[in-house]
Amino acid sequence: MSPACTDFEVLLSLRAAGALEPAEAARTEAHLAGCAACRAEAAADEAVLRLATLPPPSAAERRAVAALAADALATLRRREARAASWKRATVGFAAAAALALVVVAPAVLGRKGPVLPPAPAPVTTAATAQVDAWQAPDLDTLWTEADVLDVAGAAYASDATDTSYLAIDLDD
Amino acid sequence: MRMEDEPQKPSLRLVAGGVTPSRREEDSLVAAFLVGDDDAFGELVRRNEPLVLAIVRRYAQTPEDARDLAQRTFLRAFEAARRSLRSGPRAAVPFRRWLVRVAVNLAKNHRRDALRVLRAPLEDADAEGAIATAPAAHDALVLRERARRMRAAVLRLPRRQREVLTLRVDAELPFAEIALALGITENAAKVSFHYATRALRAVLAPEETP
Repeated sequence: MSPACTDFEVLLSLRAAGALEPAEAARTEAHLAGCAACRAEAAADEAVLRLATLPPPSAAERRAVAALAADALATLRRREARAASWKRATVGFAAAAALALVVVAPAVLGRKGPVLPPAPAPVTTAATAQVDAWQAPDLDTLWTEADVLDVAGAAYASDATDTSYLAIDLDD
Repeated sequence: MRMEDEPQKPSLRLVAGGVTPSRREEDSLVAAFLVGDDDAFGELVRRNEPLVLAIVRRYAQTPEDARDLAQRTFLRAFEAARRSLRSGPRAAVPFRRWLVRVAVNLAKNHRRDALRVLRAPLEDADAEGAIATAPAAHDALVLRERARRMRAAVLRLPRRQREVLTLRVDAELPFAEIALALGITENAAKVSFHYATRALRAVLAPEETP
């Protein structure tokens, strides 16, 4: 291998991967025609990449992905439904909190402040009934649901449908 | 990714440096899906399934493992596409590039997790029967062992070399596209590929010495 051969080292690797541009290929082939050492290098590169190449997908692999599109879509829709459910719960919580503030604040302020005209009885009754009917979610529930919203992060990794994936580590 | 007994499918490979018809179609499909068209989702998955599986299967322990990695890749890529579209057309990234980037990252994390346990590589599951019926059983066994060592060596390559090598050898992506997906120059990708090839040859070298 001559000093000039070092100029071809990268090109020989690219040649083995079938990634040479036409001009590079012409130059490389011209050099290979007169350089036995580089022909040996080229053969070694080809051999190692052949060994590193994976075999074609097996029948079992093809079966496993046969319904990939449908499965992925179903998973996506499930997540969206969970996220929408959480969003509704959040909005309901905010509305109930605002309503409670409207109802409770005048009563508290009324003790010290000027006398306000009494609120109409039917509104107060209805508001109180709504507040009574709503139950604050416990912190654990909020935390779990919030995790679902992290669509770009942990939620994907911890998807409950990925049981076979999780089982790989557990089995060992 | 080659299928053993399927007819050759038309290539959907990206051509760097321009907006190809395939790219425009995919952009339209992504936009359609994001406004609720489930058929567009299915079409996008079917088009890109070979690419994604080609990237993740080297890291998978079982066929189901590969399927789950592929599914997670698609879901994350769709979310990434959704978010990038919200940021405006300037932030738009080709969907396939999202897929490649997400698949590489998931594979990297999966490899890190898998290194905690020692399992037979995916391809070994199918190789048993072939060895038992091969006429030259010894030669087949030697070849299989060399291939196994080589695939293990691929997973031990430095991260950048491994990513470039597998995106070329497994996914058969052009170096220009590999560079864009990994955020490096095309020349750096080619040099990394060369170093990866040299590192793998060094693994084989001891057995080639008399």
